[in-house]
This record gives sequence, structure tokens and C-alpha cells, in this order.
Amino acid sequence: MTRPEPVAAVPTDAALIAAWHGGDESAAAELVRRHARALARFLAGAGALAADVDDLVQETFIRAFRALGRFRGQCQFRTWLMTIGGNVLKDAHRRARRARVVPLGDDLRDTDGDPHERAVAGEAEQRLAAGLQQLTVMQREVFLLRAQQGLEYEEIAAALGTTPGAARVHYHHAVRRLKEYMQ
Amino acid sequence: MNDDFALQDGKLQEVARRLGARAAERLDVERTAQAVVARLRTEPRADVRVLGIRPAWLRIAAALVIVVSAGVVVLNVRTPSVPTPVPAASAGGELSELSGDELRAVLEALGRPGGEQQAVSAQDVSLEDLSAPQLRALLESLEG
Repeated sequence: MTRPEPVAAVPTDAALIAAWHGGDESAAAELVRRHARALARFLAGAGALAADVDDLVQETFIRAFRALGRFRGQCQFRTWLMTIGGNVLKDAHRRARRARVVPLGDDLRDTDGDPHERAVAGEAEQRLAAGLQQLTVMQREVFLLRAQQGLEYEEIAAALGTTPGAARVHYHHAVRRLKEYMQ
Repeated sequence: MNDDFALQDGKLQEVARRLGARAAERLDVERTAQAVVARLRTEPRADVRVLGIRPAWLRIAAALVIVVSAGVVVLNVRTPSVPTPVPAASAGGELSELSGDELRAVLEALGRPGGEQQAVSAQDVSLEDLSAPQLRALLESLEG
């Protein structure tokens, strides 16, 4: 009787982080592969222009790897990554304002400018994207982490440095305002 | 507050989940991973550690500054720069009228800031024992 081959264990984020600290570049690449798409969704939902998402994702990872020594596992690596992404996005908006770049309209958000793609983009999505820009940063991030990423309030609170109760309140405020905006 | 107030609103959640989906699909994950690794390689890892360590060094440096400053303050308090009260003597007063203790107090007061202290016997203090610079300093102090 032959023994079944052991299933190759998928390394946890913590194991990959430890490997990266030990000088394993492939661990960093794996962390990027694992979380890049979720981060891109979060950034696009938070208001990043489609043309900027790639750069913002890269910048977020670079900033995260630089600050990895300060990550204490208070939340999941992905959640922590998204809070950094939120800061990267804020900085990008600040720079854009300083450079006096005229922002594109909401109808161009999360599209690559292709008219056909724009036409296909759901109206509800566009309205939600526009509505999210009416919220405070905290409300927007809590809403996205909860509704888009499906995280628990405890996890959101740990990542954003608030309490689960406060995160819950932010979420409800966000939903109320979004409904008002979208109706 | 109803926790599921919004969770029950399936439509809003569904739209939220779709939000950014196209941006995620368009992202070339492999290219992004390689670009991040390349940037991490060109920006030395030492930076990562230095950034992590810097606050500790800053804390140590700040603590040293505080300790040294406190030491300086304590020394100043224990050796006040203001001379100890010199026995009253008017500018025109006669030094010969001062008692031995009074002269000793004057000399001690003069000796501290000047750095030109000489061993002076407590018993044998008199004007004759003072050197020229000590006398000059004594006169200056008396004349204001």
C-alpha cells in the first residue's frame, strides 16, 4: 500500500514575511501575487483612476515592504496592505492637487478610457464610485473593507486603529449616505 | 442599531463587490511582482532595517541628551555662579577692617569663578598673603 503524497503546504503570509526578512526575494514576489488584485480592487473602489492603479499597487507594496518591521500582526497582512494603499492614494491625490492636474470626471473612473468599456460599466457601479467620494476617508475605507472585501468589524478596527463599535458606526453612516446619494 | 441594516441590502453589497473588478482583472500581477522585487533590490534592504532601527537610536540619543542636560543643571545648582554673599564692605572700606573669616569668605568667593585658586590656609589669611591678581580681583569686586 502506497502512502499518499503529502500535499504541498501553502505558506502563510507570516511565513512569507519571515522568508522575506531572511532575504528570500521570491517570498516578496509571492506576497505580491497573492494580494495584488484585491489591493487593486480596493484602490479602484477608493477612487484611483484606472490608469494609476498599477503604479499605486506597486507603490503600496514598496511602502509595505519598507515598513514590514512595524507590522505586528494586529490584523491580516492584506488588511494592513489596504490601509497603506489608502495612504498611498491620499498622497497621490495630494500631489495631483499640487500639480493642478484637472481630475477626470467620475464617468472615467475605473475604466481605461475605452468608450465601449465605459458604456459597459454598470451605471450602479459608477454611481456607487461617485457616492464613495462623498464620504469621509474613514467611512469610505470602512465601507470598502466591509462591503467589498468582506472583513469583520474587529479586523477593520484593528487595521484602522479604531474600535469595532466605531467601525460599525462608520459603516452605517456610509451606507446611509450612499443610499441617499444613489436614490 | 441593526448590524445587518446594510448587509441585507444585497444590491449595494453586490455593486460594492463588483467595484474595481475590472481594474483588478487588468492588472498584470506577474509583471507587478517582478517590478516590486526589482525596486526592492535596487533600494537597499539596509534601508528597511535602518528605518526600523532609527527610532530606537533616536530614543537613546534623546535619553542621553536628557541625562547630560540634567547633570549640567544639577552641577549648576550645587555650584551657583552667583558668588556667596561677601561680607559687606563699601567700595571705600578698609580691607584691614575685615576679620579673618570675612577675608576667607571673600577669597573663596573670588577663587571660584576665576580659576586662579591657590591653597590658602584658613588660619593665615591676610592681605599680605594675596598674590597680585588676587588683590586686583578683590579690589574690583569691592569697587563694583
